[in-house]
Amino acid sequence: MPSNRKVSVLTAILIVTTPLVYILSNFTSANRVTLSEAYEDSDLDLQGRRLKGFALGSEGLLADWYWMRSLQYIGDKLVKNEMETINIEDLQPLNPRLLYPLLDNATDLDSKFIGAYSYGAVVLPAIDPSLAVKLAEKGIANNPESWRLYQYLGYIHWRNKDYELASATYERGSYIAGAPSFMREMAAAMKNKGGSRNTARLMYQQIFDDAQDEQSRRNAELRLMQLAALDELDVINSIVRSFQEKSGRCPTSLKEILAQLSAKSPPGGIEFHMNAAPELTDPTGVPYLLNQNTCGAVIDAAKSRIPPN
Amino acid sequence: MSEPNLIRDPFNRIIAIAGNTFREAIRDRVLYNLIVFVLLIVACAILLGDLTNGQEARTIVNIGLNAILIFGVFIAIFVGVGLVSKEIEKRTVYAIFSKPVRRGEFIVGKYLGLCLTLLVNVLIMGAGVSLALLFVGNRSLPIIIWGAVFLIFLELAITTAVAILFSSFSSPALSALLTFLVFIIGHLSASLRELSVGLGSNVTTFILEVIYYVMPNLALFSFRTEAANSMVPTGAMIGGAFAYALVYNAILLTITVAIFSRRNFK
Repeated sequence: MPSNRKVSVLTAILIVTTPLVYILSNFTSANRVTLSEAYEDSDLDLQGRRLKGFALGSEGLLADWYWMRSLQYIGDKLVKNEMETINIEDLQPLNPRLLYPLLDNATDLDSKFIGAYSYGAVVLPAIDPSLAVKLAEKGIANNPESWRLYQYLGYIHWRNKDYELASATYERGSYIAGAPSFMREMAAAMKNKGGSRNTARLMYQQIFDDAQDEQSRRNAELRLMQLAALDELDVINSIVRSFQEKSGRCPTSLKEILAQLSAKSPPGGIEFHMNAAPELTDPTGVPYLLNQNTCGAVIDAAKSRIPPN
Repeated sequence: MSEPNLIRDPFNRIIAIAGNTFREAIRDRVLYNLIVFVLLIVACAILLGDLTNGQEARTIVNIGLNAILIFGVFIAIFVGVGLVSKEIEKRTVYAIFSKPVRRGEFIVGKYLGLCLTLLVNVLIMGAGVSLALLFVGNRSLPIIIWGAVFLIFLELAITTAVAILFSSFSSPALSALLTFLVFIIGHLSASLRELSVGLGSNVTTFILEVIYYVMPNLALFSFRTEAANSMVPTGAMIGGAFAYALVYNAILLTITVAIFSRRNFK
């Protein structure tokens, strides 16, 4: 075959076959037998504690793998869920039953993986508080020198409203070398006024400042916003009530009480948030609603990122 | 270095062979693996932030150090098994031994040449990991990892010695396979030994005990997970590992020289 003809034939073959690769790739992909939806919740095949010592020294890398899987697992659950709002205080409706085994494997393979314990302390209480305690206690057993883990365990007990245990945990952590003074302060606050809003603010501020992962930081930020909104709503509602007492009717909108509000501010020197309308907004920028039935201002649960409780 | 000195001094002859081995490895484009490594590390530094929820530094250390080991082991095995056999195959070994070079000097020189290649490789890769860590804003891990990097180099030095030992009496393919198996067993021997205690069989315990002491205990050099947790090896650990590697390599090279000295090239 002459050289030019040979090149032409080869070029023609390439022109015909290259689009075929694209078509066949899409065809095969579309006709592939898919895994059932339950696959993502299949039990883990391997147990970290049995794998340890047999991973050629790459246990840390495997721990990172399980860690990333745990993040994607929760992320997928959140993306796929069909609920209108997600309550970060209660993730049980998402049924994320593999989160604990994934984090357990990660921390079996790398017992010093503080980030995994921290993530578990923040997310697991919304799924199964007993497992959250179990993971945090495992972290303390493996890292007795880490005061941060006592902080996480204290936080879990506090969320479970077990203020005595939370206080004792913070106190134990405060004795560890290098523990900051707020551990002792939290121990006292838990004992005296564990359920107060200020204690909660102190708690979430510490988590926000010290969080080792973005999820924990975001959760703490939302909680701090929620507490700020509750403070704001206390002031707004007291003005709404006095308006109602004086005029004998509920304000038609919150705009009606803006003048009175300018004289007051929430505790802690926080300023009220206003948008361009101008409307009173919560810390996420969503306007508060005025419920005419109860004659009280509330967070717009459908639009706001602030958790409902 | 003048020619008479080179001839008189065995140390100079070893250095000359080591230098040639290093140059040959460079010519064979062994260091091209660094390109793949750099791409891997750059991808990690850019992508891991979102995937790891703020844990990118420890993941970069884990991926980086494990990649250094894996790339290094591949070089140690595949270049190591060819060091001697290639010279025999190309018959350049006749030219070498027609000069005043002893077989022991040849083996040690070849070994040191490959170790130098691995050292350069490991140093560049270690620097790459450090830079990636600096890129993601970590200030302590770029220094902390160097203890683990040094231990990886020691592990590679042993793997190289094992590869040369097998290649002194076996074919390159079989040598590569055997070296890889020793690498695996070397990492598992400590765990298998612990496992045998629970089995209750005296014979198994004895066999695993023998394997533990005869095979190189490569678990001694594993400090990658610890480094990712900002831990630093103690002086005693580094010193002990260095001495162990030195002694074990001396034993392996002595056996290799003994086998190679008896080998007939005809």
